[in-house]
Amino acid sequence: MYPTDPQCTGSGERMRLGREGATSGEDRTPRLAPGCDPSQLSLTPAEGYLLSRIDGRTPLSLLRQIGGMPPGEIDRCIERLSKEGVLAFDASGRERPRAASAASAAPAAPPTAATRAVAAPEIDPALDLAVDVQERVLEFEARLARPYHEILGVAADADVRAIKQAYFGLSKQFHPDRYFRRNLGPFGPRIERIFKKVLEAYELLSDPATRAEVQNAQAASAAPEPAAAPSQGAAAARRLRARLGALGKHHRAHDERKRKAKSLFESGMAAFHAERWIEAAGSVRLAIAFDPENEAFKGAFSDVQRRAHEERARVLMKEADGASSLGDWREAARLYEEALHYRAFDASLNEKTARLLLKLSGDLRKAKEYALAACELEPDTAAYRRTLGQVYRAAGLAANAKREFQNALRLDPSDAESKQELKSL
Amino acid sequence: MSRVIGIDLGTTNSCVAIIENGQPSVIPNAGGYKTTPSMFAVTQDGKRLVGHLAKRQAITNARNTVFASKRVIGRRFDDGEVQKCIELCPYSIVRGQNDDPRIEVGGKAFTCTEIASIILREMKRVAEEYLGEPVQEAVITVPAYFNDAQRQCTKDAGRIAGLEVLRIINEPTAAALAYGFGKKNDEKIAVYDLGGGTFDISILEMGQGVIEVLATAGNTFLGGEDFDRRIVNWLIERFQSSDSIDLRGDPMALQRLKDAAEKAKCDLSQREAVEINLPFIASDTQGPRHLSIELSREQLEGLVHDIVSETLKTVERCMSDAGLGAQDIDQVILVGGQTRMPLVQQAVADYFNKRPHKGVNPDEVVAVGAAIQGEALTSEEENLLLLDVTPLSLGIATFGGHFAKLIERNTTVPVRKGHIFTTTRDHQTAVKIRVLQGESDVAAENDLLGEFVLTGIRRAPKGEPEIEVSFDIDANGIVSVSARDLETGKEQSITVNATGTLDESEIQQIIEEHELYEVQAKG
Repeated sequence: MYPTDPQCTGSGERMRLGREGATSGEDRTPRLAPGCDPSQLSLTPAEGYLLSRIDGRTPLSLLRQIGGMPPGEIDRCIERLSKEGVLAFDASGRERPRAASAASAAPAAPPTAATRAVAAPEIDPALDLAVDVQERVLEFEARLARPYHEILGVAADADVRAIKQAYFGLSKQFHPDRYFRRNLGPFGPRIERIFKKVLEAYELLSDPATRAEVQNAQAASAAPEPAAAPSQGAAAARRLRARLGALGKHHRAHDERKRKAKSLFESGMAAFHAERWIEAAGSVRLAIAFDPENEAFKGAFSDVQRRAHEERARVLMKEADGASSLGDWREAARLYEEALHYRAFDASLNEKTARLLLKLSGDLRKAKEYALAACELEPDTAAYRRTLGQVYRAAGLAANAKREFQNALRLDPSDAESKQELKSL
Repeated sequence: MSRVIGIDLGTTNSCVAIIENGQPSVIPNAGGYKTTPSMFAVTQDGKRLVGHLAKRQAITNARNTVFASKRVIGRRFDDGEVQKCIELCPYSIVRGQNDDPRIEVGGKAFTCTEIASIILREMKRVAEEYLGEPVQEAVITVPAYFNDAQRQCTKDAGRIAGLEVLRIINEPTAAALAYGFGKKNDEKIAVYDLGGGTFDISILEMGQGVIEVLATAGNTFLGGEDFDRRIVNWLIERFQSSDSIDLRGDPMALQRLKDAAEKAKCDLSQREAVEINLPFIASDTQGPRHLSIELSREQLEGLVHDIVSETLKTVERCMSDAGLGAQDIDQVILVGGQTRMPLVQQAVADYFNKRPHKGVNPDEVVAVGAAIQGEALTSEEENLLLLDVTPLSLGIATFGGHFAKLIERNTTVPVRKGHIFTTTRDHQTAVKIRVLQGESDVAAENDLLGEFVLTGIRRAPKGEPEIEVSFDIDANGIVSVSARDLETGKEQSITVNATGTLDESEIQQIIEEHELYEVQAKG
């Protein structure tokens, strides 16, 4: 039976990491945060080693290559160090506008207002929406994964009245009716998404019962704010030191890791609910690394990873379609094949890949495998039988080819192409 | 750019308003009246009459004069309300080809959508005459408890009348918009709307120029006409006991009784007693009979007090939906002509322990609110923003014929909500998603909006696959539903198209017929 579980395709995983390094454009340069004293922290040897490599000049992509550790481990360390406020990042990534669209998988720093400024090219003065409003929309959209009270811009203990005021104020900015019938381009769906999230925050926080739930979930991870923006680094480190001083020396590292794991998990789940699957998978994977015993994280991971794979496949297929439309069949076939790692169950994708390989006179063995898979998944589709027949014919297996063309005709008697094929056989 | 009008398409009367120089104004018709009867008639020689002209000849042409057709719009022929109308209305209601009620006047069966369009066209004409320019866009109001089909029929009617309907909004919400126009303070408002055909209560909150609907409840089977009916029945019984003649079978008499009842009811809001005189109401072997009965305010209140108490039960339910007590309400607004009745005003004041707001005209306030919403949508200025809600709960049918609500009624739109479902049989590889709208926990008692099947689920023990169903409502109220197998990522979705009782080709056909008629009328 053809593997239908995308999780068992280990090679896909490796390929994915390879691609990330090459295309994510996430080439930021870490440096030590000013005023921070890492000696106060409890670091693993790997983290300590990596810290010694950071000189404020070596970009992340280079660190991954020279670090002497697996790239995933490096990302994990960078994540930890930057969360602790030890690291800050140079804003040199701004010159690489692809970062916004290429859905970077490594959540070294969750997108913040600062990193999202990268999205500036998305602003389109031709739209029927003032440029400053467009900026505000992009900035706000980047904040949707944050805790609900931060989305509303109120204190965590704000009363219902303040919450309602914030909700009304944001509604005036982001309710789609404000922009009725205007040409908003991609900002239309963005504004609607923002309003739906603001509404969700308001609904959850204005009901005492749901609010308590939300707060309990957040309280466990509340203390260390993710120190994503460089300006917050020093302050976060100070807060962290103050808290560490109050804890017993032995427990603190352990507790810290658990807390960190929980906060990572929560930001992962927030990303998950915001449908940023790849980011979510990255965060949850890190959470498990910080707290390997937590069964809940592992339970959630398979689901999150499935979505991330799905998303990855979607992006790959889109890229492949793009390559096809440019006539770059070889690249298209390569991308479709990669997408198949995640979507082995997709009959039409199998068939499409088979057809492309056939067209390229590429690997016929693979083409046969894919065409067969398509037919197994959807045995009653004439076109898939026909493709399988064509693959057989190209491989010189005339009898098999004949059988498949006959199958195709049985399923769809009007299939002229199969008739033609049969005749020529 | 043409201007947006607001139309209150009422059961008994309609009203049109517009924003002029930043101020709302109600547009009077050619006769100088600010409201126009929602009536349509075909005369003996085939001439079509609308509004006051139709009302004026209603008695002599009772069988060919349509009133209160809003009561049956968007309903099925077998619906209880339709059957009730058939019993009481002097015009005849027949079963249409889509199982919809059609009204037969002048030898032609009109759909209710078509009749609504004729009234809307009249309101459009009133506005155009007043403004001296064509009008193309409108916001139209409906009772809060109208379902999707009823709303869609109203929208279709607007299109047939040559109007682009920017929005359909709820009548009580419109009233709150009219009240909130130009106010910036924070208030909680109750809108008590007792119109000719329906009763609605809405609780709203406003602040910073935003109006949020907290809760809405209503009863489409209850309105001022029920008061009239009580009076008519009372008159019929009194006449039967005095003259031994049953007037029920006589359409002419029924129409006269209804007019007299309505007039008496209105008069009794000012006076303590009225004399109802209907000469020559019937005749028998002894010659003509006259009806002459006195009705006092006290008697009237005795006849209808249970209807008023019924409305307060609905108010109670709405308040509890909003999570509020009577003392939390800052302002009570009365809408609908029936709220002029002292008994109604007293009952509402007693419930909220507060005198209702006096600043708005109950007949005009809804149209004004509709015009304000039209202006808010199309103008560049930041005036009012209405956070509208979905009127009925949405969800899917689940195992055992239950209804799982995903979006509760009164939820602000646009909104997105999802929930995880699973299979109920071992090795089940497909699930059927039936999208329902309504309030009953029993699936079959709700309206089916659409259905689709998600296939390709892995063969697994029951309860293991995870299928996420999400509902999305966009700002225009369009509902889309998707089901997704979390394991395989397979997804199926539908966009639920609200359907009225007419399909697209029927609508086009009516539009063409109307154009023909327009030409005829001019020629």
